[in-house]
Amino acid sequence: MAVTNLPEFIRADGPDKVTGSGRYTADMTLTGQLVAKFKYGEVSHGRITKLDVEAARAIPGVFAVLTAADVPDVRYSYGLADRTLFATDIIRFEGEIVAAVAAIDADVAQQALDAIVLEVDVLEPITDLHAAIADGSPLVHEAIDTYEVTGDTPHSGNIATHSSISMGDAEAAMATADTVVTSRYLADASHATPIEPRAVIAQWEGDKVTVWTSTQVPFDARAGVCETLELPTSKVRIIAPHLGGGFGGKCGAHFEPHIAALARAAKRPVKLVFSRWEEFIAPDRRREAMIIDVTTGVDADGKIVARTGEILLDNGAYMADSSFFAQAAAMHVAGPYVIPAVHIDAKLVYTNHQPSGSVRAPTAPQGCWAIESHTDEIAKAIGMDALEFRRKNIVTSGSTGCVGQTYDEIGLDQCLDMAAASAGWGQDLPDGEALGISVGWWPSFAAPAGAYAKLHGDGTVQVITGASECGTGSVMTLRMLAADEIGIDETAVELIYQDTGAAPAGPGSSGSQTLFNHGRAVEKASRMVADQVKELAAAQLEANVSDIVLDNGTASVAGSPAISIPIVELAGASETGEILGSAAADAIEWPEITGSTCLGEQGFSSWLAPQFSCHVARVRVDADTGVTRVLEVHAVHDSGTILNPVAAHGQVEGGVMMGVGQALTEGTRYDDQGNQLNAGLLEYKLQTIADAPKITTQFVEIFTDNAGPRGAKGLAEAPNVATCGAVNNAITNATGVRIRQLPMTAERVWEAINDSEAAS
Amino acid sequence: MTMTIATTIDEILSGLSQGARPIAGGTDLVVGSRQGKGTLPEHLIAIDRVSELAHIEVGAETTRIGSGVTHATLMTDPTIVASFTGVSDAAALVGSPATRNVGTIGGNVMNGSPAMDTGAPLVVLGAQAELASTSATRLVDLDELWVGPGRTSAADDELCTALVIPNRPESSGSAYVRLEYRRAMEIAIVGAAAAVTLDGDAISSVRVALTAVAPTIISVGGLDAVVGQPADEAALAAVSEASSEQAAPISDLRASDRYRRHMIGVMARRAVEAAARRASGETISVPVNRALGVGAQS
Ligand SMILES: Cc1cc2nc3c(=O)[nH]c(=O)nc-3n(C[C@H](O)[C@H](O)[C@H](O)COP(=O)(O)OP(=O)(O)OC[C@H]3O[C@@H](n4cnc5c(N)ncnc54)[C@H](O)[C@@H]3O)c2cc1C
Repeated sequence: MAVTNLPEFIRADGPDKVTGSGRYTADMTLTGQLVAKFKYGEVSHGRITKLDVEAARAIPGVFAVLTAADVPDVRYSYGLADRTLFATDIIRFEGEIVAAVAAIDADVAQQALDAIVLEVDVLEPITDLHAAIADGSPLVHEAIDTYEVTGDTPHSGNIATHSSISMGDAEAAMATADTVVTSRYLADASHATPIEPRAVIAQWEGDKVTVWTSTQVPFDARAGVCETLELPTSKVRIIAPHLGGGFGGKCGAHFEPHIAALARAAKRPVKLVFSRWEEFIAPDRRREAMIIDVTTGVDADGKIVARTGEILLDNGAYMADSSFFAQAAAMHVAGPYVIPAVHIDAKLVYTNHQPSGSVRAPTAPQGCWAIESHTDEIAKAIGMDALEFRRKNIVTSGSTGCVGQTYDEIGLDQCLDMAAASAGWGQDLPDGEALGISVGWWPSFAAPAGAYAKLHGDGTVQVITGASECGTGSVMTLRMLAADEIGIDETAVELIYQDTGAAPAGPGSSGSQTLFNHGRAVEKASRMVADQVKELAAAQLEANVSDIVLDNGTASVAGSPAISIPIVELAGASETGEILGSAAADAIEWPEITGSTCLGEQGFSSWLAPQFSCHVARVRVDADTGVTRVLEVHAVHDSGTILNPVAAHGQVEGGVMMGVGQALTEGTRYDDQGNQLNAGLLEYKLQTIADAPKITTQFVEIFTDNAGPRGAKGLAEAPNVATCGAVNNAITNATGVRIRQLPMTAERVWEAINDSEAAS
Repeated sequence: MTMTIATTIDEILSGLSQGARPIAGGTDLVVGSRQGKGTLPEHLIAIDRVSELAHIEVGAETTRIGSGVTHATLMTDPTIVASFTGVSDAAALVGSPATRNVGTIGGNVMNGSPAMDTGAPLVVLGAQAELASTSATRLVDLDELWVGPGRTSAADDELCTALVIPNRPESSGSAYVRLEYRRAMEIAIVGAAAAVTLDGDAISSVRVALTAVAPTIISVGGLDAVVGQPADEAALAAVSEASSEQAAPISDLRASDRYRRHMIGVMARRAVEAAARRASGETISVPVNRALGVGAQS
């Protein structure tokens, strides 16, 4: 399959978004629509002793008040079915929904919330990860053993899942090491923080419901509504208007079922728009806090001989989509290194915090930050340059990594060298400035996806896809693929997307899958159209089908461009006046792994089309205040073929900025009761454009077999992996001190500098 | 609720006398009410279209900055940048370009937050607030104006028409620095302003005021010892120590009291250093935070 010259990238949704004419869910208004509000548990752990909504129901203008008693008694979640739409007897985090109201306006809805009688016996919150897994700890889920389990989800007590990577005899190998380094790292929880807060509108017509919602995965939202309200798939339609960012946080179903249930009870359309505070406390998608203990042994040559580790991840109160997090974290703490003997245990631990779930490259920024900081500690311990140490130990083409997967052609070594060269590794820098390096990795995911393509009689094409556009631009790349296959201009391709009523199912915008999976489906459906066009052309031009070339809006005979016919004429001449294609992406085989045992195989050990990266950060640390500024990030990525350079650069720049935020300022703070203290944009500090470093991006383009279209791998999450580690190593190189907690706030950096001065 | 758009000061004063609240840029008032800090007043009178409030007038003894002058103007106006540079330093740090384009000095001062950025530089420059009502106009010292977080001694019917600053003697400089964790949309964790006048190499007068370390902006006392000394390491250390000692920092989400106390010393030292360098004729671009870096050089 050849990589052709794809046309220049044009974002069809760009003008709408930039001029403000684009409509987001919160912009919509339906006739007769009511306002929804939720009553939250307000304590992080408590037993409901009384819940009485009668007074709220009696308020004029209140159309519906729902509690667990008013919806089907269904327990759901991936991995362990551990939750219900509304709290039944136990409240397990502050944002747990106890009741929902629909009222004529926001004031009346608020009155209804105030009129709900909720009495709670406050229970001791479970928030400390080590205490939670100790014998005799109270349980977040008393009835965990009765929950339905899917997949390989070994659980017990407050351990929601457990996964271990084990290859060789790590203990014996460690004993042979010349140098052994042990480190502990702590990562605070953080948030996806899309600028568009969640919004949902539901409207029933007869026994069918249409839900407009800010979801990244409309088909998962549909599945959630169907499962919890016990509705057949055909009765539920999910439409996502323009999405104002998601960053993983809007994966899956979130509040669609609640609003659909409210609208049914109220017999009116119902609309929910979250406040910023709700956006912080209520969703079941938060980036998990982690405690990482790791030990590595190296031989006299500086080769890694063994690694052991224990990782505790804060799952919060419910599973959301976190069932694979333990294994994912273990992979990042193993890292893209050749490690002959390894044993890493990872436990996902229930607490009374907000549930953790997918946020762009879940577990990776923290795991990578810890292991890359640890890597620099090892290099320092043996007196080796950090770049040199990595060169010696990273995986390269043909080498076998931590789980016994042997890699085909990969470009991590090139990433390392190019990033170092771009940053000027080894150069003298002014006082207070330094470079730091980090490598990272991330898998690609193959999932079923379908697509339809239609060539109309007027020569335009409609592509109908289950993909979602959460800001990455990769949906727009689907247009380029269709245009290229059919031989027309991409502006003649219109996309129909984010509507379960129109498109075949697919993973939406999750797991870096838009291009990887939807792209393959769109390519195949478009090729079916192209094949039919070629047949029509061959008949008319009296040539062999295999000799027909589609390009520039015309079909011609290879080698004789003069003998041609416009594609629009062929489309019009077809029997039905349009040419149809429909296809599902082909299944992809997962790579084999050998020699590794794994407890809790959660689909994250063998990595399909693994993506590699190296980031070098240049920082300046103001030693008197601890304030760190990232001046430059040099990012080099191996994501296979780059089909859309403009969008690819955008992904890397956005990922780096998100990484800088996680590195320096973004961290959730809790009070001793497990409630968030900084659930707002003033105290939860995102980076601003004024903070943006100069970002230099390069790609190592390796055509990758068994991957996405035309040898592409994913590229949405990978850029968010390596920045935090690079920043930490740069801070250490600038100050001589090592920061062991994420985010590396000014105060933490200052404390470390101050304490080391006090000690010396 | 009503909102009246005034075109003259008299219209504003008569509106205030009938119980309306003034709204200038609305960046405190509206945002605060959205955050639940209090509901919007029943009657608002918009003062942002009254051009008389937006002037900067240089007189023989004093300079009058109209209360409606925006931060965007304060950070670029040649008079303010040249003579009252600390005010420009502060204005340049406020929020984002959008905040600076509509937010005013009058709103900043009358909102009375201990974290207001123009407050400390105005204090060290000896500014007074000009308050007018239908019956009288008076000048009030700022330490008498601010009586607590978000509270002023102005009567409900008084409009702040201007901030009046004594013109500076030769060889004077001022500066404002604040601790910030990011370079826009930030709130002062601690801040310090300094005004310095030199006699040759020696400090002939110095004032320091601190932001966000007490219920109101506070002046640092007991700096007499550095008068007559050059602005050298010893003098800066003395200022730093006095400032740390006199502040009453709290622990909260933004910082611990320990860190704050140290940072107050660092900010005060940097403010005095920058003010002294400006007093000696050196140009340090606005804002000092970017020029000298609080970890945040450009
Ligand atoms: C995103 C954002 C970032 C911000 N960042 C900063 C920052 O970095 N530093 C900082 O100091 N502030 C900051 N602020 C706060 C605010 O922008 C400033 O305090 C601004 O100067 C307020 O001016 P305003 O004209 O908008 O005041 P308004 O909101 O219009 O008024 C504020 C208060 O003063 C009263 N008032 C206004 N004018 C007068 C007058 N002439 N006479 C009597 N009373 C009056 C009003 O009745 C109201 O009570 C920020 C605000 C936002 C929204």
